[in-house]
Amino acid sequence: MTPVSPTGPAGSASPAGPPSPASPTGPAAAGAVTAVTAVTRRERAAGIVQRSGAYLVLALVVLVASLAFDSFATTGNARNIAIQSSFLAIVALGMTFVIISGGIDLSVGSVFALGGVLAAYGMRWGSLAAVLLPLAVCGAIGLLNGVLVGYGRLAPFIVTLATLLGARGLLLVITDEGSITRVMPADSLLVRLAQGSVLGLGWPVWIVVVLFALGAVVLNRTRTGQSVLAIGASRDAALLMGLPVARRTTLLYLASGLLAGLAGALAAAYSGSGVTIVGVGLELDAIAAVVIGGTLLTGGAGTIGGTLCGVLLLRVIQNVINQIGTLGSSYQSVVSGAFLVVVVVIQAYLSREQRL
Amino acid sequence: MSLPRARFLTAALVCLPLVLTACARSEDSDTGGGTGAGSGGGEQVVATPSGGAAGPGCTLEAYGAPKLDLKTAVIGFSQSEKEANPFRIAETQSMRDEAAKLGVKKLLVTNANSQLSKQISDIQDMINQGAQALVVAPLNSDGLEPALNAAKAKKIPVLTIDRKINAKACDTYLAFLGSNFVEQGKQAAQQMAKALDGKGKVAILLGSSGNNVTTDRTKGFVDEIEANSPDIEIVAQQTGDFARDKGQSVMEQIIAAQPDITGVYAENDEMALGALVALKSAGKKPGEDVQVVSIDGTRNAVQKVVDGEIYAVVESNPRFGPLSFKTLTDFYAGTSIPADVIISDKLYTKDNAAAEVGSAY
Repeated sequence: MTPVSPTGPAGSASPAGPPSPASPTGPAAAGAVTAVTAVTRRERAAGIVQRSGAYLVLALVVLVASLAFDSFATTGNARNIAIQSSFLAIVALGMTFVIISGGIDLSVGSVFALGGVLAAYGMRWGSLAAVLLPLAVCGAIGLLNGVLVGYGRLAPFIVTLATLLGARGLLLVITDEGSITRVMPADSLLVRLAQGSVLGLGWPVWIVVVLFALGAVVLNRTRTGQSVLAIGASRDAALLMGLPVARRTTLLYLASGLLAGLAGALAAAYSGSGVTIVGVGLELDAIAAVVIGGTLLTGGAGTIGGTLCGVLLLRVIQNVINQIGTLGSSYQSVVSGAFLVVVVVIQAYLSREQRL
Repeated sequence: MSLPRARFLTAALVCLPLVLTACARSEDSDTGGGTGAGSGGGEQVVATPSGGAAGPGCTLEAYGAPKLDLKTAVIGFSQSEKEANPFRIAETQSMRDEAAKLGVKKLLVTNANSQLSKQISDIQDMINQGAQALVVAPLNSDGLEPALNAAKAKKIPVLTIDRKINAKACDTYLAFLGSNFVEQGKQAAQQMAKALDGKGKVAILLGSSGNNVTTDRTKGFVDEIEANSPDIEIVAQQTGDFARDKGQSVMEQIIAAQPDITGVYAENDEMALGALVALKSAGKKPGEDVQVVSIDGTRNAVQKVVDGEIYAVVESNPRFGPLSFKTLTDFYAGTSIPADVIISDKLYTKDNAAAEVGSAY
């Protein structure tokens, strides 16, 4: 569907082929060359819109909201939006890599909730255990997803649907059918970290900044990142190129599980207890954020920064609807849904543009 | 002529977003006679004397809140679940109506759509928008800490309604307004004993697990039956998750396993309505072969009491608007507010159901 080139859909590899037979001089040839450059320009424009459309929309929404509401463009509100977005952002980071590789991870919502409950459970042995326990268990679930998808060649949709149910079940076992909520002491290191802030921004926000910077480097500057793009563009071609497809795929789902577990543990520490009802439908929010951010649901193309924009956009919409105050919250789903439809339609149009 | 049409149009407009998000209510067509869900019905009555037995109470000075006139104030209301069931619809409507009646400058309303993270951000957003007092219907007893701490830091009083939170009253929050769920279960048990003449086999349709409403309604019922009706046997307890369809399917399973049951206690009306369908399709006549008792007092259930299919409904009054604003007004007038303001719940039986179905929600 998109070019095989791991550098992304806007790469100039494909138009380089056709003009060579038409290279002899002559009016016809010149016409062909201008036609080709025109297509290239269109393709390039399409690529740019696809990659940075989310930034434009976010900037536009923020601008309009700042003009419309006095209490929107305040530091307090910006701080709130940042911290409230941070947990979904961590989950969406893992999801971005999985979707770029052409897969999907539906288990992250349950794994997020399990991570939180395990963090509260592990708190009895201290803050370190409260981080390591959820990472170990959620990592194991991610690894299971990865092995089944990567080596077992099973459909990621089904595999991660199964672990979605399994992780939620495990959570119910630990919490006696959801009736036990363990409180995390406010003086513990982890809770102080999650609720504390530095330079005006909460610690979870800084963790997001670091993780996303790392994610962007891995995707764009390393062999691993390039092979993920290649696998997403065409798994068979990646195999023929001799890339370690199964190993890379396994790694991605492992990372997704770890990140979801980490986000869950941080969110639990932030709210002060391992609440059992969180995370339902979180996987869909994460997928929505990734797609709004310009990552192709079919794989092979996507950006880390776009995902961050997608997360912020979802959260800003919610904030704006709260600012209006008189609108029912059902409108939020309507607006977010509408955004998603528009993005998917534009994406379909743009990728068709680029194939021409 | 034009009035019902206008009402229908308003209802259609109000329902549009609900339909779009695939959670349309199926039963708002039969409210024609009343004044619409929520606004018209009976007011809540406080059972505990205010400032009385429930401890020393909380005053403006003790809480440290600045003085406030509600007419010039911004008040925030955080609803927990989608307005997709009669209880939540009536609760939100009652808050809006009372705020309008009192002339509150601005009432901010948010809905967490059953997501705890959203309820936290909703409350933080409302504080940021300048809310000076908050009324919160908590989704969960734990986990709202960051939001409540933010309110506390700004000395914003928080009332929690219908569910309680695990925190210190007059410190993290001002006070709790709500029903005594154990008492509701106990009342239901007394009605069941009356319906069955103290002898029979009863099945319980439990609410969602891990929820103090379910636990308390079960405890109140079971304890009362064990203490005073030794000949009533509880033969099945299964969760119907407070939902009508689940209540129906669970009831079908219970009838298959226990064909000789004579009573059903549903912990909310929706499950009771589902159970009625299951009973009828199994060839049992509710009200004669099997006695049904439930809790909530929704209009559909009270109508079934009139029809003779449900024996009794214990009301859980969702109209928190008047009581919430009265409590806030009292608080700002310097009155001491008890930690728990418990409302008394009325009972619908065949004696009063026909007369009062109009005021049910």
